[in-house]
Order: sequence, then structure tokens, then C-alpha cells
Amino acid sequence: MTVQWNDNTPIYRQLREKVIAMILDGVLKEGDALPSVRQVAGDFQLNPITVSKAYQELANENLIDKRRGVGMYVAEGAREQLLASERERFLREEWPLLMQRIQRLGLDPKRLLQGFTANGEQA
Amino acid sequence: MNAPANMTVRARGLSKRFPNKVALDHADFDIPTGRIVGLIGPNGAGKTTALKAILGLTQFDGQLDVLGFDPRTQRDQLMEQVCFIADVAILPRWIRVREVIDFVAGVHPRFDRAKCERFIANTQLKPAMRVREMSKGMIVQLHLALVMAIDARLLVLDEPTLGLDILYRKQFYQRLLEDYFDENKTILVTTHQVEEIEHILTDVMFIRDGKIVLNSEMENLADRYTEVMLSADRLDAARALNPVDERALPFGKVVMLFDGVERGHLESFGETRTPGLADLFVATMKGTYA
Repeated sequence: MTVQWNDNTPIYRQLREKVIAMILDGVLKEGDALPSVRQVAGDFQLNPITVSKAYQELANENLIDKRRGVGMYVAEGAREQLLASERERFLREEWPLLMQRIQRLGLDPKRLLQGFTANGEQA
Repeated sequence: MNAPANMTVRARGLSKRFPNKVALDHADFDIPTGRIVGLIGPNGAGKTTALKAILGLTQFDGQLDVLGFDPRTQRDQLMEQVCFIADVAILPRWIRVREVIDFVAGVHPRFDRAKCERFIANTQLKPAMRVREMSKGMIVQLHLALVMAIDARLLVLDEPTLGLDILYRKQFYQRLLEDYFDENKTILVTTHQVEEIEHILTDVMFIRDGKIVLNSEMENLADRYTEVMLSADRLDAARALNPVDERALPFGKVVMLFDGVERGHLESFGETRTPGLADLFVATMKGTYA
């Protein structure tokens, strides 16, 4: 697989983001094994230190479990934890800007919420 | 001179003079264990001479410690711990795969025949195949299978993927990363294909006219170097910050490269980005062939 990395963020951070996106999207499920450092290094042509660093950060955030001698697994509760922090971030960073814009455009909140339910299903 | 235990190579004042050329000019560098180090420089900069000195294949002045050995006087002990893939094919054209394996098994005490045969089984190579029937890519696969089956502490690669197509090149590094490298091994590689290996390297050294002109962990390059895209009215102000390089783009824009100037400060001049290894290489080597 060939992956494009952007120059402005360290690769280990981009790799961490990739794993997080896969957990959020359900591609990686809780309890799923992650590929080994060697395998990721080989497939993505990265040095193993970079890969270890990404995994280490995910482990520090309790998103993955390291099981000694066996490998790494997506931690129980990882997706919930990520969703919670993503929601928190949305409300803190994105929502105030969005709200400002809605008000500036004079949009009716009721109209915006048409066809919308709390858990994302179509009404 | 004895290097600390976690150093695979330590060079101090490493020099080599040919009658008409100085190939190495008081080069100082350390290569710690467990790293993948790129030695990068233009043609004739001294890359191959440095590798030859490390391997004990050439005389030199100055001090050099490789895995605790002096390559000038302890070459035999050193050779048990070091592997080398040269950019020139050195296998005789008549030899067969199984004969090469027999040969290496006979001469190298740290060669693991079963491991080598496993690596070979994953390629298109067959035991009865002769070197003259192989493509350049297959010869490199054979070399790689042989050296990866040797439990060496230092692997030296001189332009290992030169002349290979992209599939073989990619496979070459994939095998090294998946089946060979670990924190007790060290890889030293020279190449011109900078973009291809920049994320594989943990450290990089640029060599120019026999001198080491850049020696850094890859991780630290992003902190040190910043490129800024400037419009014409900001050029003089930006030049006052001593850019290490400057190049013009179409539509009157100029890109300047800064070393050690705080990025936050540079952002006030224009769009910033972290230069790739190839950008740094071009900037550092400007005028080499002039």
C-alpha cells in the first residue's frame, strides 16, 4: 500500500490519527488485534521507531492494550472514549463557530433540525 | 579509541586522500545501535569511501571504531558482525542459487541456512537457477536473502536498489523492515533515491566534499528547518533572517529555507511548510557540480 503523508505533521501523529479514524469508523473493533510494528513498518515503509511511537501514544491514551508477548489490541471502551472526546471537541471548538454562522445567516433552528433525530436516523 | 557500548560506529577525523582528490576530510560522526542511518551525498562526495573504511576495505587516516573493532587491524573479527551489499554485482555469473548458499554456509559462522532457504522460497528464485539467468532485481533478492540470514549487527547497503524497478525497490525495504531489522541491529545505507527512504530512516547524514555537512535525527529536522513562501514585498525583511537557501517560483513567489528560526515567527511572513529531505539535500548541495 502506498500512503501519502503530509509534510507538516510528524508521521507518528498521522499514523495515530489513522488508527483513531479506523476505530471511530468501526473498521477496527474493540478487541481486534492491531498489525505488529514490523508489519506496519514494512507495509507503509516507515522506520519501526515511528510506528512504535504512534502505538505508544495510543496506549498512553488507553485506546489500545499492549499484551506482553502477544501484541496490541483495540481496548474495550476505546470507541466510546473517542466519541466522547470528539463530541467534547466539537462542542468546544466547532459548535460556537457554527452557531455564530447560523445566527449571522438568520437560519431557523427548527428548520435545520427537520429530518434529524438525536441518534442520527432519518425521522 | 573505544566507542561506548551503544555506538555501532564512531569516526573522528576520518580522512582519505587519493593522489588527485580528498575523498574524506576529517569526518566526525557517530552511528548509535538500533538506527537506520542514511548517508546521502552527490556523486564523488565520499560516500563509498566512508563505507569502505568502515568495512576495512581501504586504508584511512584518523580514528574509526566499528562494533569495538579497528577495521584496519581487526578486520576478521569485524567481518563476522558486518554484512554488506555493494552496488556492483559481485556474484559470478555461472554460480547457482544452491551453490552460493553452500558457499556462504561454508565461510560464515553466523549464517543460518534454513532461514536463507525460507527467504529464497518467497521469491521467484529456484535452487538450480544460475546468476546469469537472473534479472537485476532477482540478483538483489538473492543478495538480500543471503545477508538477512546472517546474524550480523551492522548491515551496510551501498545504493542497494540502484537500477531496480519500483516493485523490487519497495519489496527490498519491506523485507528488511519486516524480517530483519530490530533494535539490536544497525543499518547504514547510501542512496540517491532520497524520497523513497526518507520515512524509513531514523537518522540522516549529508556528505559533501568529504565532510559531514548535516547529521541529524529525522525527527529533529522538522523542528530545525522551515520553508516559507513569500511574495515580493516581504523578501528583504525575510532575507534579514538569514535564509540558508532561496529559490524563485513562477508568478513572482519566492521560497526561502530557514535553519533554526522559530516557525511562529516565520508564519508572519507567509505560508510555511516542513521541507522534505530532497529539498534539504538540494539546498545543502547547491553548487556542487558548478
